[in-house]
Amino acid sequence: MEKISHEITLFAEPVFHFGSFTVTNALVTSWFAVAIIVVLALALRSKLREVPGKIQSVFEVAIEGALSLCDQVTNDRKLSLKIFPFAISVFFFILVNNWLGITPLGGFGIIEKGEHGLAFIPYLRSGTADINGTIALAIMAVLGANIFGVFSVGLWKTFNKYVNLKVLGEIFTKLRREPTIIIVAPITFFVGLIEIVGEFAKIASLSFRLFGNVFAGEVLLVSMAALVAYAVPIPFLFLEILVGLIQALIFSILLVVYFTIGASDHAEEHEGHEEPAEHKLASV
Amino acid sequence: MDSIISTFHIDWKIIIAQAVNFGVVFTVLYIFALKPLNKLMQERSEKISKGVEDAKQNEELLKACRADYDEVIKKAKNEAYVFSEKAKKEREIEKSASIENTKKEVEAIIQNGKKMMEDEKVKMVEDAKKEIVSLTMLATEKLISSKKDLNDLP
Repeated sequence: MEKISHEITLFAEPVFHFGSFTVTNALVTSWFAVAIIVVLALALRSKLREVPGKIQSVFEVAIEGALSLCDQVTNDRKLSLKIFPFAISVFFFILVNNWLGITPLGGFGIIEKGEHGLAFIPYLRSGTADINGTIALAIMAVLGANIFGVFSVGLWKTFNKYVNLKVLGEIFTKLRREPTIIIVAPITFFVGLIEIVGEFAKIASLSFRLFGNVFAGEVLLVSMAALVAYAVPIPFLFLEILVGLIQALIFSILLVVYFTIGASDHAEEHEGHEEPAEHKLASV
Repeated sequence: MDSIISTFHIDWKIIIAQAVNFGVVFTVLYIFALKPLNKLMQERSEKISKGVEDAKQNEELLKACRADYDEVIKKAKNEAYVFSEKAKKEREIEKSASIENTKKEVEAIIQNGKKMMEDEKVKMVEDAKKEIVSLTMLATEKLISSKKDLNDLP
């Protein structure tokens, strides 16, 4: 009988196809995550009472805590309330995906003939253990932050963060009063252009951080299970539960930071010498 | 870039599918959980803050009522003291007036009694005088008559 390999791949394995669209196990897990969140949301909606029950109380405490954490980053309750729905959705989506990836249900799957013989392909692989999932979230976070910035401070100010035409214009208006502006303005303009690269770096860092952590966790669990089955992976399983929670939290907080930066007016910030949101995060 | 895409099997269709998944999660969570829950929590916190505000107002009202009550009681006590002092004074005046009147009346009664006694004394002396005169006259008459009888004797 041919040996079945339990090879861990860097990419999500295809489970079935819809025409030209390949459905991967990570996508299936994401659908499960969506279904779980939808069911929980509907269950919560049906149980909402003015005098809260146990489930509602837990949710209220969690949401109040998350909102106060959000406040520590934004320093503004109104801004927090605007960003919060997006951040908490990202948090739950990533959390459920992370935890689904480490459930024992990953033992269910199909056996396919691959390049190196028969290979086991699990039906469930965390949506965040596939770079496509994390890239999607990262793009939405960065794009969302910029769109939020447009709605908060306006299109012109958001555009000037990247292509700082305003500072170039100041060369002509402020040259007599501040001769140094002829050096400072091109540098500021160039810094703005670097910000564009920074936005892509944000996408890369967000997506690869989450993917790397979750994928490494899954690799760790499979390796431990392959070395000494059943008993040894259990502590690592708990560790991965914690890692899943922490990664979801990190992604969400970073999203709040990006949204806060997007909603802040750079010009006012520099004039008012306000503490940037990244520094605020460092103090959290 | 191509090597990254091929190594990680980056597929824009799956990226879109995952984005749609997240969109569904966001929409459902926002509509069915976060919005109603937030509304409920806000309403509750408004009720609580209103309750606290009402309690504060009631406390202030109670304080004001207590202050009014104390003021009224103090005023009433002062008024009562003034009335009592006035009544005492009036009573003292009435008492002294009444004593004065009584003294005068007693004096008048005594004077009247003395006068009546004097009159009575004078009347008695008069009566006694009259009685003495009549007795003297009677005795004189009897003496005269007895002398006459002696003279008639042989």
